[in-house]
Amino acid sequence: MNELRKWASEQKGIMAALLGLSVLMGAVIVGQAYFLVNVVDRVFLQNQSFGAVVPMLGFLFGLMVIRAGITYANARLGVNMASKVKQRVRSILLQKWTQNPIQTAIQGQSGGKVTVMMEAVDGIDSYYREYMPQVMKASIVPLIVLAAVSYTHIWSGLIMMVTAPFIPLFYIIIGIKTQKKSEEQLDKLAAFSGQFLDTLQGLQTLKLFGRAGRQRDVIQKSSLGFREATMDILKIAFTSTLMLEFISTLSIGLIALEIGLRLVVFDSISFVSAFFVLVLAPEYYTALKELGAAFHTGRGSLGAAEKIKAELAADEQPVKWGDREVPARPSVELKNVHFQYGEGFSLKNVDVHIPSCARTAIVGATGSGKTTLLNVAAGLFDPQEGDVFIDGRPRASFSESSWFREVSYISQHPYLFSGTIEENIRLGAPGHPARAEVEAAAEKAGLTELIRELEDGLDTKVGESGRGLSGGEKQRVALARAFLKKPSFVLFDEPTTGLDLKTEQILQRSINELAQTASVMTVAHRLHTIQQADVIFLMNNGEVEAAGTHMELMKSSESYRAMVQGGAAG
Amino acid sequence: MKRLVSIMMEEKRDIWLSVLFGVLAGLTSVALFGLSGFMISKSVLQPPLYIITIMTALLKLFGAAKAGSRYAERYVSHRATFTILSNLRVSFYEKLEPLAPQIFGKYRSGDLLARIVGDVETLQNFFLRVFYPPLVLVIVFLSTIFFTLFYSVWIALVLLGGLVLTGFVIPGLLALQQRKVKQGVRERRAGLSTEVTELLYGFRDLKLHQKLDEKEEKLLQIADAYVQEQEKESVQAAASQSLNAAAALSVAFVVLALGAYFVTIGELNGLFLAMLVMISLTIFDNAVPMAVFPAHLEDTRQAAGRLFSVVDEEPPAPKMGMIERDDAFSIELKDVTFRYPGETRPALQNVSISIPAGSKTAIVGPSGSGKSTVMQLLLNMYTVNAGTILLDGNSMGEIQAENIWSKTNVVLQENHFFYGTVRDNLKIAGDGLTDREMEDTLRLVELPFSLDDPVLEKAENLSGGEKQRLAIARVLLKRAPVWLLDEPSSSLDVLTEKRIFGHLHEAAQKDTLVLISHRLTGLEKMDQIVVMERGNVVEAGTFNELMERKEYFYEMKQIEKNVLA
Ligand SMILES: Nc1ncnc2c1ncn2[C@@H]1O[C@H](COP(=O)(O)OP(=O)(O)OP(=O)(O)O)[C@@H](O)[C@H]1O
Ligand SMILES: Nc1ncnc2c1ncn2[C@@H]1O[C@H](COP(=O)(O)OP(=O)(O)OP(=O)(O)O)[C@@H](O)[C@H]1O
Ligand SMILES: [Mg+2]
Ligand SMILES: [Mg+2]
Repeated sequence: MNELRKWASEQKGIMAALLGLSVLMGAVIVGQAYFLVNVVDRVFLQNQSFGAVVPMLGFLFGLMVIRAGITYANARLGVNMASKVKQRVRSILLQKWTQNPIQTAIQGQSGGKVTVMMEAVDGIDSYYREYMPQVMKASIVPLIVLAAVSYTHIWSGLIMMVTAPFIPLFYIIIGIKTQKKSEEQLDKLAAFSGQFLDTLQGLQTLKLFGRAGRQRDVIQKSSLGFREATMDILKIAFTSTLMLEFISTLSIGLIALEIGLRLVVFDSISFVSAFFVLVLAPEYYTALKELGAAFHTGRGSLGAAEKIKAELAADEQPVKWGDREVPARPSVELKNVHFQYGEGFSLKNVDVHIPSCARTAIVGATGSGKTTLLNVAAGLFDPQEGDVFIDGRPRASFSESSWFREVSYISQHPYLFSGTIEENIRLGAPGHPARAEVEAAAEKAGLTELIRELEDGLDTKVGESGRGLSGGEKQRVALARAFLKKPSFVLFDEPTTGLDLKTEQILQRSINELAQTASVMTVAHRLHTIQQADVIFLMNNGEVEAAGTHMELMKSSESYRAMVQGGAAG
Repeated sequence: MKRLVSIMMEEKRDIWLSVLFGVLAGLTSVALFGLSGFMISKSVLQPPLYIITIMTALLKLFGAAKAGSRYAERYVSHRATFTILSNLRVSFYEKLEPLAPQIFGKYRSGDLLARIVGDVETLQNFFLRVFYPPLVLVIVFLSTIFFTLFYSVWIALVLLGGLVLTGFVIPGLLALQQRKVKQGVRERRAGLSTEVTELLYGFRDLKLHQKLDEKEEKLLQIADAYVQEQEKESVQAAASQSLNAAAALSVAFVVLALGAYFVTIGELNGLFLAMLVMISLTIFDNAVPMAVFPAHLEDTRQAAGRLFSVVDEEPPAPKMGMIERDDAFSIELKDVTFRYPGETRPALQNVSISIPAGSKTAIVGPSGSGKSTVMQLLLNMYTVNAGTILLDGNSMGEIQAENIWSKTNVVLQENHFFYGTVRDNLKIAGDGLTDREMEDTLRLVELPFSLDDPVLEKAENLSGGEKQRLAIARVLLKRAPVWLLDEPSSSLDVLTEKRIFGHLHEAAQKDTLVLISHRLTGLEKMDQIVVMERGNVVEAGTFNELMERKEYFYEMKQIEKNVLA
């Protein structure tokens, strides 16, 4: 409850308004019963004329209108509060997600996270929309009703007092169970969403392996699991309502019996008092029952809040940054860097120096840690030991935004966003470069021919629900991002995979051009693309095995020679 | 809507039960309150004690019956609803599945997710609030009105008027108003879900390009708009409910005033006044929720529309043909022309390729020349616009797609891996694979993994080459007689690639193999090399033939020689 309370705490005004409305509501309920009973009494027992009750009827009508008004105002305040909190929680979640380091961001299933953002946040809605107003109402209205009844007829009041505590007690027991179940329900939904999204992405793979049909069963199981979890919660809710109905019916029956006996046998109570008590008794129990129902939803929201809390608490070790501005064309140096993925693969004792405007290359067998090294150099990971220096100062003293302003990193599997080709190329550059610059960047990436052939040219929609591109075309759109930005430190992770030799040559030329004003660090399997590099680092199992120019390495490194010859030989 | 009703009718029994229990609950509750009003009036007249006792007993009985039937109604109606929803989700997936991969050209994954989760969830209101409650309401009302007829025709008429007002007139007016303010909750919700999904999927690139803040800003705007729509909806619902509640109270008020008047002029026995007032107060409890009926109707109509529109396309007619043989078969493309749906430019133009059973073919050509498209067509993922494709002499148009898939080993240019473990990702290759077999294959492709190692979403924790090798391991385990490999080794270093190709060729010795490749080395061994450019086959032949022709392939080889020198 703490979180939910905290999120609401800024809404003191609304709370006060709710309190005022509840008191008014109690008064209206009592007044309504009073006039109702008196009208019946006067025409039924006192045989008064209709004209005599008209003013009373007038008051009664007024109160009824006020009652409807209060109900509306109450609902409206709750809705207001819920909206504010939901907006706030979504922004906290988003902030957390956008600040997560890569290593945290890739954990878990996206579908599950979407569920937290959508369903869990919507799930806390009822806490503010129903629970809070209802609690306020239910803790005040019964008190006023009770006071009115006790004043009229103390014995009925006593019965109410004695039976009332059963109701909240009962709810506390049930509420605890509800919370657990609703967490379970959200888990099930998150699992379903995660599964669905993952299946969607891999549908072609599933089909090819003849598993699409079987995946249906998995989805069905997941969906049924969600149904069961939902029904479990509802069962608790329904059972508790049933029990409450019983308790309140029993209590109302008890009151009716007591009053009836007094009226008939002892004649010790007037009709007006008796009818008054009888009209108010259900109001009293209804308010308590509503509290019960609200308590149930409140507990459900608590389950949702727990899920959000868990997402917010996901541990993170952000890359450390400072606030110094990164100078233009910085040199970058990794000194004695050690980096390990959890318990898994590690980079060991890596020393790499990249002078300003130098061309460096990283080669090595698959899985030897090339991409990992690039990630450390690009500022996506912080080394666990050793340090990264920018222009001779520790990276931690520079600001993240100024660093990334100078850097372009085209990763091994770039992502194309749903949008036009132009928008995707623009992703790379800050500000709003002219269209001509985008065209120039596309040309450097060897995309001119494709763009010319496309009906909408640069404005062709690509990405998730746009036009599909071939593997090499996607790669080139991503590379164009770097050509548009013209940064002073560029990292390419296998820029020419999936490209034919001719296109590769175009790109090679563009990269050479870029390299005149920037340090370029390239990971490559095709060794001919990096022979001009000033330094080539040969990675082996997380370590830099050898470093030097192509010529030097040909002489000194057996494994480098083997790789080069392997590439050339037929 | 019709679709929805027919899906719902599958739970017929539960629907009738819900109506039954709903009516029972409504009537007992009316009886309970009416009786209590009557009892109190009666008591004043000093009746014998046993009458009071009987009435109290009846009160308890009605109370218990009311609680019990309300419970039963809720339980049954919700059970039916959630069963329907669960079926709906599964059938949505079933309908979606044959439409992939084309469907992804139209909808984004986050949007589809929003539909299968959010829109389906909304549909619960269709049954719970739109479908059967009006029926219950009418039955309860008519019975009650019939009962009051015995006491006062006028009061019965007032109740009838109240029913028409709260159950039909006010909801109808609200419905008219609702039409005007178009409800945007559904769309906003889908929008938010879509953008969040994209944020998560494209996180790395957004971070690298420092666009996270921008995206966050945009997302927040969408989220706020969504909340505002929800707020609008809730406020409207609250207003409608309060309006209807006020109307209901007014009716009770009129009953009281009219009753009081009749009592004073002696038309009605004062004994029944309290009872009638209590009845009219209670009965409208059922009518007040009718105020949100139009909102729910409209909402579920939209949700159903969104849901079914995705899968509305007719699934292709089932095909019966099979490839009879179990070993390698031949593949032939004859004059195939193909345009991607919605494109004007053909991706393939008059492409003819002949691949004999058991032969090894390489397809080379610049990026975007249509190599992967050929493969998609061979797998029957799309249908050709002109020309024919023959598999083992049978026309593609007649062969079951599942049959083709079961007989091919496919490595796509981009392979998907599922969230789970290495084992989860390997075992889809076949039934009854032993751990031993899987481990041996992992060793063969030089992956040091154990079967229980985790694979994160999209295999984010594997290196590029590891992903490709895992995909190769998967097809090595599948052992189908035809191999279709789309640049299976583009992220491998040459030495590893060579060893892995050795294993592949060994495994595919007797099989038909089609390899798409950019690297021109090692093609001497292939039986045939097909060179593609801009959607056309420009050359085909053995390595030596092409080298002698000194045309396209020869030129590419020359470039290669230059760069490697
Ligand atoms: N996020 C991660 N969590 C855990 N392990 C990882 C993660 N990313 C990579 N690894 C592991 O680290 C090792 C090195 O991966 P890396 O991506 O750096 O290799 P690489 O040299 O780029 O290989 P390739 O040439 O195949 O792309 C691999 O064994 C990989 O499984
Ligand atoms: N889903 C799609 N919708 C529309 N056009 C597409 C789609 N997929 C590919 N294309 C277009 O069809 C042409 C051929 O694409 P294909 O993927 O077959 O090329 P490819 O030869 O495999 O190229 P690469 O070597 O880059 O993978 C390209 O111009 C591409 O943009
Ligand atoms: Mg890599
Ligand atoms: Mg391709």
